[in-house]
Amino acid sequence: MTQYGFYIDQTRCIGCFTCAVACKDWHDIDAGPAKWIRIKEIEKGTFPDLYLAFLPIPCFHCVDPACVKACPTNAIIKRESDGIVIVNQDLCLGKSECGSKCLKVCPWDSPQFGSLENAKMEKCNLCIDRIENGKQTICVEACPVYALDVAPIEELIKKYETFNEAEGFKSSEKIQPSVVFKPKI
Amino acid sequence: MINEEKIIYTACSNDCGGGCIFKAHVKDGKIIRIETDNDNEPQYRACVRGRAWRQRIYAPDRLKHPLKRVGERGSGKFENISWDEALDTVANELLKVREKYGPASTIVLHAIGDDNNIHTHAPFWRLFNLAGGFTGTWAFFSFEQAMFSEIATFGMPMVRNSSSALLDSKMIILWGCNPAVTRHETKATWYMKQAKEAGTKIVCIDPKYTRSAAILADKWIPIKPTTDTAMLLAMAYVMIDEDLYDHEFIEKYTYGFDKFSDYVMGEEEGVPKNPEWAEKITSVKASDIEELAREYASTKPAALISGISPSRSAYGEQYTRATITLSAMTGNIGRKGGEVSSRTYPGGKYQNAPFLFGLGAPFPLPEEKNPVMERGPFQSHLIPDAKRIAKGTVGINTHQVADAILKGKAGGYPADYKAIFIPCGNYVNQDCNTNKTVKAFKSVDFIVTLDHFLTPSAQYSDIVLPVASLFERNEIMSTVNGGPYWAFAPKMIEPVGESKTHLEIAELLAKKMGITNFNDKTEDELNEASYNTIRPVLREFPDYEIFKQQGILKIDVEEPYIAFKEQIEKNLPFFTPSKKIEIYSQRIAELNNPEIPPIPKYIEAWESLSDPKAKQYPFQLLTSHSIRRSHSQFDNIPWLRELVKQEIFINASDAESRGIKTGDMVRVFNDRGEMIIPARVSERIMSGVVDLPQGAWFNPDKDGIDRGGCANVLTLDRTSPAGGLVTNCSLVQIEKSQEGGTTK
Repeated sequence: MTQYGFYIDQTRCIGCFTCAVACKDWHDIDAGPAKWIRIKEIEKGTFPDLYLAFLPIPCFHCVDPACVKACPTNAIIKRESDGIVIVNQDLCLGKSECGSKCLKVCPWDSPQFGSLENAKMEKCNLCIDRIENGKQTICVEACPVYALDVAPIEELIKKYETFNEAEGFKSSEKIQPSVVFKPKI
Repeated sequence: MINEEKIIYTACSNDCGGGCIFKAHVKDGKIIRIETDNDNEPQYRACVRGRAWRQRIYAPDRLKHPLKRVGERGSGKFENISWDEALDTVANELLKVREKYGPASTIVLHAIGDDNNIHTHAPFWRLFNLAGGFTGTWAFFSFEQAMFSEIATFGMPMVRNSSSALLDSKMIILWGCNPAVTRHETKATWYMKQAKEAGTKIVCIDPKYTRSAAILADKWIPIKPTTDTAMLLAMAYVMIDEDLYDHEFIEKYTYGFDKFSDYVMGEEEGVPKNPEWAEKITSVKASDIEELAREYASTKPAALISGISPSRSAYGEQYTRATITLSAMTGNIGRKGGEVSSRTYPGGKYQNAPFLFGLGAPFPLPEEKNPVMERGPFQSHLIPDAKRIAKGTVGINTHQVADAILKGKAGGYPADYKAIFIPCGNYVNQDCNTNKTVKAFKSVDFIVTLDHFLTPSAQYSDIVLPVASLFERNEIMSTVNGGPYWAFAPKMIEPVGESKTHLEIAELLAKKMGITNFNDKTEDELNEASYNTIRPVLREFPDYEIFKQQGILKIDVEEPYIAFKEQIEKNLPFFTPSKKIEIYSQRIAELNNPEIPPIPKYIEAWESLSDPKAKQYPFQLLTSHSIRRSHSQFDNIPWLRELVKQEIFINASDAESRGIKTGDMVRVFNDRGEMIIPARVSERIMSGVVDLPQGAWFNPDKDGIDRGGCANVLTLDRTSPAGGLVTNCSLVQIEKSQEGGTTK
């Protein structure tokens, strides 16, 4: 089975949010709480010895996704062909009816809910509409400093010198997020 | 009928300098998505502001009809009227003002708006000139001091290398420059990051630890705002004292270095401008200054990139002149991997000077003679001429418009100003001292604004006209700063609501004003005429029809452009009286103004932390660029608003002593205005300095306290000696608001 995943070069990310807004435009998501890709800002130190890093957080399409197991209606599916984790909103009970079980088990809060009452879960689908047509994801093509890449994870590991963790990101051996990094030290 | 999704190229029109490439997906007459450049490298990828354009086009608050004010100015009460009524009113009121007070009484008050050449202020300049003239404004918001200094020193402005040449730099000094946020040029940050990855050392000098510092800098040197020149002089001192400068370059290509050297070494005034002297002024450790001077002098090539922000200070001319002097002392001018100075605009035939200010091809119709004002191909103010300024023949200084309106002839201005026509721009919000501007706007007889939204400036207008956006008209665009590439920016959707293009509005207004010879060409014919004016310069350009089809024309350049390469390699003359780089400027000397000395000197700024006023208002206000706005554009766009709050950055120790925590509502004030906004407590800013990103929309409550966080409520409407904006010279006080509430 092929497993698609992310490469994030944290040394390049300027936290400019371009990927996040490009994602909202491509997937036609309103402003509001549903953010398929979020940017975490990590600030450390005291003046003038400072450290500042950013971390884009989409869904990491885990090898053994906790959300899939937690969903009471099997609305979350891990695709055999490419390992992409998608949600079938027709089956999703909605955030209040089910109590957002998927969100509670995700270490990175990737399942997202819009502002409507009992909103159905939505999240990064790795732009399957683009990937299936041989195109790159919208976030990768948006990044002005070429900090992102999406490909089968084995290819990413071959292409870059990679690490499993980065500043602001702790991996999980159990659920194996499909992401590798060049961390900012 | 099947309407297929079409992908249409265009280029972003935001006034940041980028002009990045868009691929708009259009279906059933609507734009449904916008991609950026994903073609062959070099790709010109749009930033976050550009990516939010779709929400701007279809924003619920987009103006869809002409509006007539029905409440007091600023009350926000308007009603829809027809175009016919709107333009009748505009024509009648402007003619009334003109008959009573003369043509100079109408100010055409423009900012850049979009980076266009047809759908901009240009048609209105022609129209009002044909109608008898108008008063225009001079002085750029962004870089008046920098351009003045470049003209004085080199004889021409807009001189710098292509940013791809930074790949050859062994060292980069980013001085008061945050390209990761401001862009200014599409790929600048990327080239610098690539240079860094290849081992180039990058030093950032800035009162704030910016995103650029975080991602690019090996070393961050915080410096007290307005004192940059003192540090530059001390670096020159080290280079002279330790004999580290490039004697050959100085002797061969520069004029007047000895006078500068005498001043720096203390032989002129008895005070050596050494690192210890500079430490007291700048708060930068003398040892840091020494180390940087030595490293910069010995690492070749090295690029000292002087951001234009520090030049927007009381004596900002000195800063830019000092950076050029250091670039010369290190022999980094005319050299790949070096840099000239401020990177206001790129050099090279592809983007700049032949086409006014790089904003595209020239407006294809003649501007016509303005009976009350003269203009030149470059704006005539660049070496200030007191006589012409006094007579008003170059218009009024952009930043003194409110003062001129309020004082008129009685206050020594050339005319009494009674009508304001704003073809593009958000003056109330974007020039200094908003409350004074509001007072001035409330005092005139008639104001017209063209815009997409009811901006703060539109709020004070009598008639507001909805204009077509980038996607709703045809235009030729070029990147202002990057590239090189040119774009045909086609009309791909119908104008939203009843919006009309700038050209259409000018044509309709011409008819109403009885001007018969305004224009007999179509929009397409005008674009073709524009295009044909640039084709002789750019022989690579195909026929107009092919260009239109192609959409984007990336120009293949073998080598990056290096400013003054010929002057250095072939010893050709510079454009100054001495034919050399004038460290001592003979033209400045002729001005005989101690506030603009002929050699770069440190002059203590007014409204700086060393001003006695700092006892009452102890914080220096910076008005940086927000990542979610292009100046004041996009402030209302939800996709961007949700990214970062409009908040004032304050140093952690300053905040602690005032009991301020992140999210607390704070009162920020000085003699000019007051606002209540959330605080952001941070280690990333120097003590004694606060930063409020400019461009947030002015939103006064019933007591006149701004709730929008418009930085210009606090800024001072005084200009530098060359007439430049001085947004870095405002002192403020900050305290926890009585309202106390903590926002999320």
